[in-house]
Amino acid sequence: MADAIKFTMDGQEIEAQPGQTIIQAAMDAGTYIPYLCYMPKMEPYGACRMCVVETESNGRTMTQASCTTPVMPEMIVRTKTGDIQELRRGIIDLLMTEHPHGCLTCHRIELCGPQDVCLRHVRVTDRCTICPKNERCELKDTVRSMELDLTNPMEYHFRDLPRHVDDPFYDRDYNLCIVCARCVRVCEEVRFDTALTLTSRSGTALVGTSHGTSLLESGCEFCGACIDVCPTGALTERDYKWDKAASTATSICSNCPVGCQVVTEVNQRNKVIRFRGDLAGEANNGQLCFKGKFASDYPNKRGRFRYPLIKLEDEMQRTTWGLALESAAENLKKFSPDQVAVIASPRGTNEDNYVAGKLARVALGTNNVDSALNLNPELTESLLASTGYAAASNPIVELEKSKCVMVIGGNPTEEQNVLAVPVKKAARAGADIVVIDPRETELTRYCKEGLWLRPKPGTEVTLVGGILRAVMDEALEDKEFVNERADGLQEAKQELWNFDLVRVSQITGISEDQIRAAARAYGGADSAAILYGADTVPVEEKGDLALAVANLALVTGNIGRTGGGIFPLFGGANTQGSNDVGANPRFLPGYAAVGGASARDNFSKKWGAQIPAASGLSTKEMVAAMADGTIKAAIVMADGIAPDQPGLEGLQEALEKLDYLVVSDDFPGELSHFADVILPAAAFTEVDGTYTNLERRVQRVRQSMTLNYEERPGWSALAKLGTALGANGFEYESAAEIFAEIASVVPDYAGISYDRLEQGGIQWPCTNAEAPGTAIIHGTPDENFRPKLTPMSIREILDVHDADYPFTLAHGRVLHEPDHPVDVENRDGMNYITRDNYVQIHPDDASSASISAGDMVELRGKADQDGNTVTFVGYAKLDSPYTGLISVTTLFGELASAMQDSDDPDPAPRVRGLPLTSVTLTKVSVPAGVA
Amino acid sequence: MTVAFAELRERADRRWQELNDAAWIRVGGGVSGEAAGCDEVIEAFNSELQSSGTSGTVSRVGMYGICYAEPLVDIKTPGGPRVWYANVTPEQVPELVAQHVKGEQPVIASAFGYEPAGEGQVLQGVTKFEDLPDVAAQTRIASRNFGHIDPQDLLQYIAKGGYAGLEKALDGMAPDQVLEEVKGSGLRGRGGAAFPTGLKWSFLSGNPAKEKYILCNCEEGDPGAFNDKAILESDPHTLLEGLILAGYATNSSKGFIFIRQGHDEPINAARKAVADAYEAGLLGQNILGSEFSYDAEVVLTGDSYVAGEETALMEAIEGKRSQPRFRPPFPAQAGLWGKPSNINNVKSLAYVPQIIARGGEWFKSVGTEKSAGTALVCLSGDINRPGLFEIPMGLTIRQVLDDVGGGAPGGKKIKVLQTGGPLGGVLGEEAFDTEIDFDAMSAAGAILGSGGIIVGNEDVNVVDLTRALIAFNQFESCGKCFPCRLGTTHMLETLDRVCMNKAYEEDFALMDRIGNSMKVGSLCGHGQLGYNPILSAVKFFKDEFDACITEHAGPVGSFADGSMITPNRTRP
Repeated sequence: MADAIKFTMDGQEIEAQPGQTIIQAAMDAGTYIPYLCYMPKMEPYGACRMCVVETESNGRTMTQASCTTPVMPEMIVRTKTGDIQELRRGIIDLLMTEHPHGCLTCHRIELCGPQDVCLRHVRVTDRCTICPKNERCELKDTVRSMELDLTNPMEYHFRDLPRHVDDPFYDRDYNLCIVCARCVRVCEEVRFDTALTLTSRSGTALVGTSHGTSLLESGCEFCGACIDVCPTGALTERDYKWDKAASTATSICSNCPVGCQVVTEVNQRNKVIRFRGDLAGEANNGQLCFKGKFASDYPNKRGRFRYPLIKLEDEMQRTTWGLALESAAENLKKFSPDQVAVIASPRGTNEDNYVAGKLARVALGTNNVDSALNLNPELTESLLASTGYAAASNPIVELEKSKCVMVIGGNPTEEQNVLAVPVKKAARAGADIVVIDPRETELTRYCKEGLWLRPKPGTEVTLVGGILRAVMDEALEDKEFVNERADGLQEAKQELWNFDLVRVSQITGISEDQIRAAARAYGGADSAAILYGADTVPVEEKGDLALAVANLALVTGNIGRTGGGIFPLFGGANTQGSNDVGANPRFLPGYAAVGGASARDNFSKKWGAQIPAASGLSTKEMVAAMADGTIKAAIVMADGIAPDQPGLEGLQEALEKLDYLVVSDDFPGELSHFADVILPAAAFTEVDGTYTNLERRVQRVRQSMTLNYEERPGWSALAKLGTALGANGFEYESAAEIFAEIASVVPDYAGISYDRLEQGGIQWPCTNAEAPGTAIIHGTPDENFRPKLTPMSIREILDVHDADYPFTLAHGRVLHEPDHPVDVENRDGMNYITRDNYVQIHPDDASSASISAGDMVELRGKADQDGNTVTFVGYAKLDSPYTGLISVTTLFGELASAMQDSDDPDPAPRVRGLPLTSVTLTKVSVPAGVA
Repeated sequence: MTVAFAELRERADRRWQELNDAAWIRVGGGVSGEAAGCDEVIEAFNSELQSSGTSGTVSRVGMYGICYAEPLVDIKTPGGPRVWYANVTPEQVPELVAQHVKGEQPVIASAFGYEPAGEGQVLQGVTKFEDLPDVAAQTRIASRNFGHIDPQDLLQYIAKGGYAGLEKALDGMAPDQVLEEVKGSGLRGRGGAAFPTGLKWSFLSGNPAKEKYILCNCEEGDPGAFNDKAILESDPHTLLEGLILAGYATNSSKGFIFIRQGHDEPINAARKAVADAYEAGLLGQNILGSEFSYDAEVVLTGDSYVAGEETALMEAIEGKRSQPRFRPPFPAQAGLWGKPSNINNVKSLAYVPQIIARGGEWFKSVGTEKSAGTALVCLSGDINRPGLFEIPMGLTIRQVLDDVGGGAPGGKKIKVLQTGGPLGGVLGEEAFDTEIDFDAMSAAGAILGSGGIIVGNEDVNVVDLTRALIAFNQFESCGKCFPCRLGTTHMLETLDRVCMNKAYEEDFALMDRIGNSMKVGSLCGHGQLGYNPILSAVKFFKDEFDACITEHAGPVGSFADGSMITPNRTRP
């Protein structure tokens, strides 16, 4: 790091980092300079002029905005001279003429409540006490710091603009806006959505959507970033709008594996009222998404399980924990170990998962334990043979430094939303985005011409092989890295000669030119990252996909490099952690394979019980085994499991077949319906623990709500059950105690402790208390493991089609389609998108079904377990890339409306992804005059 | 002389000769000519020449600058004097063609001025053109070709000595020498800030980046200023040559000519000039066979006064909302598209070809010591001879008003001047003896700025005038920084009250407080200077404000007759 710059502020010698502006240096030094438009972690803007200071540099004295002026050596800065304060007061006086401020300039400001009669006859709309942001308003704090006079000589106008309260999740009241443009800037600069803009100019300048449209059609992704940065009450969350926080805590969002750090606000009535992205969050840099911001308040919802329930005479009846556990233990004991299964919650902490794994092995004698959303374990586990780590290789935020990002079969903007933020940032900085996906997703719109590859479903691995071949053909490999740092190049090359591009092109439906273009974009970039998911990849291909991706990264030297790396895209907030700590049928904690005798011996000694040797069943296998009666009893930690999740089909029926079922859940639902014992679960805001995110970062989940009933954290319930089952080693008193045990058995966690986590998350491997953690694996040569390439084989297209449903429907979703008109209809005070949909069909398919462009067609999928069928109606457009593929693209706004209207107490896990489905295609006749 | 330029020069001379070998009728165009009906006159000439079978060339030249005389026509027959006719109507054309073009006998009765073809040639009863008081007072450098050549014809420009400066630079001067020449000339930026042009260029030339831009600012939104547009309309190549020279001096890669959309004639002229220059090898790769390569492009913005602010201009070119950026970084470090850039006013660049061709010392000899060269003054309002006049720096305002402008019509007294655009200020009679140069003008409480002088006679109410200026400033604020967005709004509301006689003595203090917030606090010049009109108006015409505030003498201006329409941009 370059040398610090010394300068003087208000008579004190201060050091600043090179490039820091005066206000940043002042903040670091603890000096308060008032500001309104500046926002940490955003580009300075220089509009409010509240942060002006007097500077003296090179003999010139100037009045400058401290947010835009870099610190210069020897500079003298005065932050509070009489002139400066007067200037700030002048600006505040101006601002007060357009912002309701009856209370701001009143000496009773500390005394009044919202219901009080105002002795000064200040209009209700002009009072702070009825503002949703009262007491957390930055404007108010700034005004107070200025110690204004009580009178303002300028005329005040209330704008009297209509409030926008008909879009999902947000209320917008531009009467309170001070036009600092933070919302516009965060939307453009940080989220890259540009849903918001400055409107008009001069005295009528304001923020809003362009042309004043609804947020639904503006391209808004409902991430709430604008609300988090709004200094006034102009932008607010609609739910709990007027509630005030009695306490806050820093925790981790429980909806996906990105691990966004959030500040949870809890009110006096023990309700979690608000989630704010924490600017200190290492994975999210202060950002959240629609799920984390607006769909995380399920702990508040009515109807939660508050007490243990037990089935007596076919009725669930309230009981005590003691009796419930005793009964559960007694019943579970009746089954042989291989008849019992444990399914862990995707929201379970590392502590919960560790106890679940230990319980299965020690108390139940089985390896049948898995995390519920560990549905694509191949994506990570197969990497053990390749990179040596069953996890992503690089930090999420460093994706912004990538010069190329390849996304295969995943939709991070929806499923791992904040992960996509640095990807978009890289794209804005000029990086190539390559998307390999039949579906149109938000990221496909960031692809330059020709870099959205739409392979035939199931041919992704072959396509990646083809790209690798093209990389070799064009000599784009990193010879030094692949020869010196990795093994297996020769063997891999042998197989690679089979990947003739003509053949790859035939199989995948992607032209040779496009394959080469993708290879050039990826292989030619100084640093390139790959995000790969399994949304469109058949199950038998997933492991190979991970290996193919690893091969590509290794050959190009993108392992161990800043801005490079590979990132598996899976679901579940703590799926990574659950695998790390052994809630996994194939691995004991720390990826010690169950099949290894020494590993089993090791854990047998540590846990004081024999570890079963037989490999366990994965979640999907357990569901199948329940259905066929092999598994007869189960413990399901159901918080965050949506039974209709792709990959969990049949779970509900399988549970019905069980002889004995223990469920821990927050709400009554499909899963607890068949339970014999129900244990009330504590939600993520009610527990202490740790999550490990997708980038291997172990972060603290902190309790912010008190448990007033009998809910318990997962680890506690499972530990008590273990004890009830007669096992030893389950006498845990706290999550910290369990984490210490995890650190003692998982070498990669050995250096991590709750104490250290107070300073922020740590990325494993972290093998001792001094180690800083590992941001990039293989960043330095790893003595213990050399990365290895895996030979790949080319394969013909798998015929996944059902003869009765001959078409593959690739359902895409984007924020905004400028060329496809949208109407917004207001129903019962809420906006909804209505528009004609287009169904994109290949001309050959259309002509064989006698469909011509503009005809109305219907797509019908297979009936699901409840007899519901997916149908989709729209106008035919003849532009699908190949026969058999039909695509439709809908808008994210529709999803937002659906989530807003959901009556499910916990809607986030139920947000539908975009799986490929098999459908029929028929032309439907339209009544005359309708089309 | 380079081979390429020698060939161009030869073609140009041939062209010039051709034009002078027959009767040549030049009709003043430009916006003022067009407004006065020059197109009808041109059409009349063309049809008259055809129907009478007379040979001759009709050219639409730029405006000469004496707008009050438009449509201004001059006719030159081989060997005969060049005779100007003012305010020509289509009805006069047959006579002019029959008598002067065909008969080679100037129509003395209608003649406005003449230029003898040779020594001793005299036209009895007609003043020599150069002796007309408003012509005699001028020293024409940037406007040297106005009214003399067809702005659409590159060859005519070259024939009159155009691109000789560029040729001289490329054929023997290093970029640094060009820069030194400009520095030595004492040229100061004509956009308003009067910053030394050479010094400004040296910031850019010192930047080692490969891609660097010269931006030419022709936003020219000031009411009463039309000299930038006039240069583009009447002699676009002088600007283009200056732009190329600026690029050469600073090692830049591209020039942008930024024009406010709607100014169709300057836009078309500039576009044609750029296209012609490319074709002639004066732009593009290896200009005139040298190592120097340079591109130029004409870009447009929407309706926004603030787009003329240098950083807002860059935002506009980038396709964003045109609002100023903060500095640092300064444009010379990170400007358009983040690349080092330099912004120059049209007039500043238009001087450069002559500075290089005739030397910096020559330029310095014109004008005053601190303000070298000339001022392109646009006179409008209550004045007998409105127009565009290029006068040497150092004339007093009174000289300009009386000698050039010919005083106010109807024998009325000139009471107030509005100079330098709406951010400038107003001047009262006490200031009329101020010399026109940058420093003297700002000492007098106004700015020379863009060179617009709007003249008001004794009937003008200064409070009403001030309100109009503030209303303009308010309306044109971009709305980004708080002091300007809110300050201009309150300033206008306060002035409205003054005009309606509903203000109080304390309002002076209030306006002063707001004005100070704007001056010190604003992000760009729009807010920083936005209080000037009131400040200067109160300085010279306090009594008129008092009449409204303390004496309640009745509503003024448009408030008096109820015609006032409050602008719709005060509050959301």
